Amino acid sequence: MPNIRPRRRTLLASAATLPLLLATAGCRSSDVFTGPDPLAGRPRPAPDVITLAAVIAAEENLISLYRTALAGDSAATARSYDLPALLAQHEQHLTRLRARLIQPPGTATAAASPRPSAKPSAAAPARVTIARLCAAERASAAGLVRRLATVEPALAQLFASIAASDATHVTVLGG
Amino acid sequence: MGEITGVSALRAALAAEDAAIYGYGVAGAHLSGGRQAAAEQYWERHNKARDTLTAMIYALGAQPVTAQAFYSLPFPVHDRTSAMALAAYLEDGVTRAYLAVVAVSDQRLRDFGAMAMQSSAERAAYWRGSTQAFPGLSR
Repeated sequence: MPNIRPRRRTLLASAATLPLLLATAGCRSSDVFTGPDPLAGRPRPAPDVITLAAVIAAEENLISLYRTALAGDSAATARSYDLPALLAQHEQHLTRLRARLIQPPGTATAAASPRPSAKPSAAAPARVTIARLCAAERASAAGLVRRLATVEPALAQLFASIAASDATHVTVLGG
Repeated sequence: MGEITGVSALRAALAAEDAAIYGYGVAGAHLSGGRQAAAEQYWERHNKARDTLTAMIYALGAQPVTAQAFYSLPFPVHDRTSAMALAAYLEDGVTRAYLAVVAVSDQRLRDFGAMAMQSSAERAAYWRGSTQAFPGLSR
């Protein structure tokens, strides 16, 4: 059986040769890793991530408005404008938007925030009228279109599709 | 998949508008009253959109696609219900086509595509009687 243990002389020769090989290849030790310093804390989020987080927050606010409207309006009003169906579509928007946001664990973002199912946010008014919902839908559609310029194509398509959905909600709400 | 060019996306949108113009002619024959009036109004809007797209394609130094003389319908249209379903189907096709325009790098084209999507999604909702969460996108 051959002896496969490296000899001391072989190890010493390898240690002496490694810097020479790196130099030949044009590498310095500082070139081995040129990415962000892993000890300098979290890297800044990319522009797409910032935009997506803002859109998620806006969608959460819209959902909060719908929940307030449903809690305050009569059943007949909610039914005539099909508010539960519109709310369900906004929840679908939120789910798909959140699925696009991938962030390191422990990052405080809209994606990590609790689902707004329990109660409206503190900023939500006590009563939300149909006219208010209609204006919010219109503003949401316009806001999404304004953000198209700053995101990659697939995300722009998602924003445009959600904006189109919001536009149809405006019509349902009588806008 | 390569980047979608503005010209190819606009040509696809033009083809969808041409199909809608043809299809509304079929659907309108089976509608009456307010729905027929809506079909006529939407037919005119698709004609206007076709002219706009044609001009945009020429402005980009390209040739627009020519409309077909005949389009095969996705299903038989013989009454009001199927006519409305056809109109919704046509609008969905237009929405998908404009969705591709949103994917181009030109910001003005993205905005144009997004606004056109809103119009076609609203018309589709009218014919379908309900809204969709993601117009133009596959579920």
